[in-house]
Amino acid sequence: MSTKLDDNLRAVFAGIADFLIPEALGMPSASQVDVHGELADRILGLRPDLREDFMRGLKAAEGKSSEAAAQELNTKDPAALTAIGLVASAGYYMTPKVRELIGYKGQESRPEADPDATPEYVANGMLQQVIDRGPIFKPTPR
Amino acid sequence: MATGSRPAKRDEVVDVLIIGAGPSGSVAAKHLAQAGMSVVTLEQGHMPDRNDFPGRKPEWELVTQKQWHPNPNFRDRPRDYPINTDESDVHPLMFAGVGGSATIYAGHWTPFLPSDFRVRSLDGVADDWPFSYEELLPDLETVEREVGVSGLPGNPAYPPKMSYPTPPLPIGKVGRKAAECLDKMGWHWWPGTNAIPSLPYNGLNACVRRGTCMSGCPEGAKSTTDITYWPHALKAGARLVTGARVREIEVDDRGLATGAIYIDEHGRERRQKAHTVIVCANGVGTPRLLLLSKSKHFPDGLANSSGLVGKRLMMHPFSAVMATFDEDLESWRGPFGQNIASFEFYETDEKRGFVRGAKWGAMPAGGPLGATSFVGTKVFTDPNAKVEDMWGPHFHDMVDRRFGHTMVWGIIGEDLPEESNEVLLDDNLVDTDGIPAPKLKYKVSDNSEKMLKFHEDRVLEAMQAGGAIETSVVHQMADTGWHLLGTCLMGDDPKKSVVNRWGQTHDVPNLFVFDGSTFPTSGGLNPTATIMSVALRQTRHMIAERRNQEAA
Repeated sequence: MSTKLDDNLRAVFAGIADFLIPEALGMPSASQVDVHGELADRILGLRPDLREDFMRGLKAAEGKSSEAAAQELNTKDPAALTAIGLVASAGYYMTPKVRELIGYKGQESRPEADPDATPEYVANGMLQQVIDRGPIFKPTPR
Repeated sequence: MATGSRPAKRDEVVDVLIIGAGPSGSVAAKHLAQAGMSVVTLEQGHMPDRNDFPGRKPEWELVTQKQWHPNPNFRDRPRDYPINTDESDVHPLMFAGVGGSATIYAGHWTPFLPSDFRVRSLDGVADDWPFSYEELLPDLETVEREVGVSGLPGNPAYPPKMSYPTPPLPIGKVGRKAAECLDKMGWHWWPGTNAIPSLPYNGLNACVRRGTCMSGCPEGAKSTTDITYWPHALKAGARLVTGARVREIEVDDRGLATGAIYIDEHGRERRQKAHTVIVCANGVGTPRLLLLSKSKHFPDGLANSSGLVGKRLMMHPFSAVMATFDEDLESWRGPFGQNIASFEFYETDEKRGFVRGAKWGAMPAGGPLGATSFVGTKVFTDPNAKVEDMWGPHFHDMVDRRFGHTMVWGIIGEDLPEESNEVLLDDNLVDTDGIPAPKLKYKVSDNSEKMLKFHEDRVLEAMQAGGAIETSVVHQMADTGWHLLGTCLMGDDPKKSVVNRWGQTHDVPNLFVFDGSTFPTSGGLNPTATIMSVALRQTRHMIAERRNQEAA
């Protein structure tokens, strides 16, 4: 089986990706952020283990509507739909535009200004309630 | 006190050979070398390079599902060995490298409680340990200072003990919400203790809350022994050989260990001779190696006259509860240690219908891909769901609802030892060097089933009391065998145990096991603190008794 993502299969992928991740609720569709372009190649480069299931699913979907293809894969070849969905969603959430829309800058460094500061749960008495209930460990014979 | 030894040469017969450079082996290497003993450690993996860890890269979540997956069978890196899990309800998780599986742990620092050492006396099941919580405490307190633990003293779940070397990490919005939920019930919680320092400490940087702890910390801020122990061990003269996969421990005509045969990373067979051998290869790797080391003297495997090598495997059946709230919890922020923990239901209450208990740890839920996978569509929904249940407009709705708003509770239930749960050698499966791979037989017990269900229900009660808008439970997840314990039982009776109270095998006086495979019971919590403390206890005894040690 050819593992090349040609223009035809790219279009099939874009269609299924848009069925899975449509333009809705203020969010762009998958193809609107080009998940089927270089991003798909990048994802498959990062996760070559997905390629076989991904390509098999796209080939099975050729000539069908995106919705019908997704529904059929879900029942007959869920591994393929999982691979297509993961390539689409991983690419989608790696794009700066989508990250900005959901308020996610990635796993960023945010050092604490003062690690020695008294924690809020100490200052406001929250933890004191736990302390006041006393020890809960079971004493043991030595 | 001696400050070190000269580095051992390749063909030298060294004082001590350590097999495995994970948490226990690293403790032993550092302290033995600093006591002036010549030490060689063989490690099948390599020294980690934190620039390889993916946490700073946009593809972080994607690669944690494959290349950085904790299951070696799924990850399938060259230094991983395969494990036959066809007959195991839980899959073992581990990582080969200096620092061991802690390279990809979450750093939860939860020492065993006093009752964990006295399960037979208190509950009439399993076994008591040959020593007590109080006897181990000095070693624990030393290890905590070497590891750089962060935490707040005074936890009423434990007897009073020395404070931690660095202040607690922020519990964040996740921890605060989790604590509010438990407060509604009047239940115990405490800010998380973690092997993640809040200040620069012993070669570690301070945590910057990147939240990618479980795929290696790219900040050098999670305590692993490649950072906290090995610089000291090497300075004291210890030699570390990486890419060294041990095939067999050899014995002489008197039945004493003489060293080990290993395969280097170029496929060459080599031999390291030693007066004393310590195995620290975890609860799967250690029995595998002993079972591989058959000889005229030991036809059933090394140190196996009791027949217990590989038996009593404990892996901690684990459940997860996801809870989503209206409030923004910034639940992609780290640390991905435990924000808070609860020991409310840790001790036995027979009215519950099972013995022993579990620790709960509240953690963040990760990035947006996590909101659609680990805590989303793939795991936390009906396997018979339709496409549109998980995708389409619901996809955006789900991410909008869950991402940043979700916490995950991990429930670690005590796993009682049973001889039917065991590590064997597989008849067919081999690693890349042709060495027989381990096979696991493991069934989750009825006690564990009841325990997990009870705890899941209590977590759900607390989350609902605290206003969760959505909850889900994954009962007894398979890929959760982080804690590999019990397969070389420690005890006083040579007929009923593999090693004595000092980790010395009953059958081979100069062969020791210092890792978690010696644990008589598992506790209901993360065991690394206790694994390292026991390793230090045994190491200190070995140093004290060095003049009396019988050697090949």
